[in-house]
Amino acid sequence: MRPDLLVKPSSLAGLWKALPSLPRDRRYLAGGTDLMIAAGHGHAGDCWIDISGLKELKAFRETSSSVFIGAGLTIAELAEMTAVKKWLPALALCAPHYASPSLRNMATIGGNAANGSPCADGVCALLSEKAEIVLGLKGAKRKMPLHSFFLAPKRTALKKDELILGFEVPKWRHVSAYEKLGPRSYFGISKVTVCVSAELSAGLVKEAVIACASVAPVPLLARKAAEFLYGRRLDEGTISEAAALAQSETSPITDTRSEAAYRKAMVRVLAVRALSKLPA
Amino acid sequence: MKTAVNTVSFTLNGEKKTFSTRPDEKLLDLLRREGYKGTKYGCGQGTCGACTVIMDGRAVYACLLYAMQAEGRKVRTIESMGTHDKPAPIQQELVAAGAVQCGYCIPGIIMSATALMEAEKDITDEVAREYMDGNLCRCTGYEKIWVALRKTIDRAAAEPAKKAPKGGKK
Ligand SMILES: Cc1cc2nc3c(=O)[nH]c(=O)nc-3n(C[C@H](O)[C@H](O)[C@H](O)COP(=O)(O)OP(=O)(O)OC[C@H]3O[C@@H](n4cnc5c(N)ncnc54)[C@H](O)[C@@H]3O)c2cc1C
Repeated sequence: MRPDLLVKPSSLAGLWKALPSLPRDRRYLAGGTDLMIAAGHGHAGDCWIDISGLKELKAFRETSSSVFIGAGLTIAELAEMTAVKKWLPALALCAPHYASPSLRNMATIGGNAANGSPCADGVCALLSEKAEIVLGLKGAKRKMPLHSFFLAPKRTALKKDELILGFEVPKWRHVSAYEKLGPRSYFGISKVTVCVSAELSAGLVKEAVIACASVAPVPLLARKAAEFLYGRRLDEGTISEAAALAQSETSPITDTRSEAAYRKAMVRVLAVRALSKLPA
Repeated sequence: MKTAVNTVSFTLNGEKKTFSTRPDEKLLDLLRREGYKGTKYGCGQGTCGACTVIMDGRAVYACLLYAMQAEGRKVRTIESMGTHDKPAPIQQELVAAGAVQCGYCIPGIIMSATALMEAEKDITDEVAREYMDGNLCRCTGYEKIWVALRKTIDRAAAEPAKKAPKGGKK
């Protein structure tokens, strides 16, 4: 099912004003790369609101302690930013593994989160970077840790008409590694992904965050594995033990993309690879 | 705020155009309906690249865009490239390399290659391959396409040097 009506507000204020006059069964259209596919398979609302004209969603702000990226920024736009390379290394690293160049020119980071899929690459990267998600509905704004935004497969904390405004990522001096296993080396949805961000000091782990995609009902933080790493040197034994812990925290399923047992086995392999790859 | 519009206006291959459309019409369908049939329908789900066009300087899939999303933007299709009599360099090289068999993927390949050459300088094979990642060819294999692309890139790189004395720096 496709929409009967497509509207394109040019400002947030215009959007909030127009809402009451629009058909009740409505949704936002950003890059359309998820929505368009979903619309081919079933009902996708009577009215689509094209939010690609909202400048507010293209915002990029940097303060002394954090970076804010607007939900409407595309993966290609983000990957090109110097500040992203500097402060969001995981997001920069995931970009080449994110679909294809043309898709990255269309797909937005907000759509990646709103879609609520456990395999989302941008979400996995941002999770490891300790991002918070900023939501807005009319005048009201709220902010929550990104991991608590995901409730179940395809279910998020978004209320009706609520918009993801963007993501706030604290500045911390971390290095990252992004290990994605797909059907081929590039251009494919992940079977398993492990992304690690860590701050190292004199060879010891000061802080680590391990995010995993496609191995749980929601994008997952492997907290036990991350805690275990605290204060340790990343030697072979530590890496192997942390990877085993991460593996124990996952609960993959069998679906069209892969099998549960294979996914489970691969979490460990990818976690070892990611931890071993972290630049010293 | 635009509501229930049934027209869309955008710059198509350098010309301002207005088309009638419906909210559920894909950009790809509009283009083909209006006679721009060089842009092909392949998979219809953003995987094969046959429908690649350039929007505001970036390669995008026309099968994943509603026509109305093009409002106010600049769209370029394969029709903006060379003709039979006057092929563009990339078209000449593709033919010379024997890279074209059934030809269905070629318009998309050319649009992605054009986006690459217009956006990047000193193009390495790695960068070229990354840009071409979203275009599949099921006939010839990719080797001949790479050969043609590399030659086109090298030809373009050699050109400003030739022109420099006349044109000054770019
Ligand atoms: C061929 C193909 C390959 C793909 N490969 C990958 C891949 O490798 N990795 C990956 O992670 N994803 C991949 N995807 C999925 C998709 O491209 C991403 O999830 C993308 O980031 C979605 O963003 P969008 O802007 O296109 O969202 P849309 O399709 O426009 O929207 C998706 C959903 O989010 C909602 N939404 C969008 N923006 C907002 C907002 N600001 N606030 C509230 N709700 C909003 C929409 O209402 C809709 O429900 C692929 C898709 C295709 C078609």
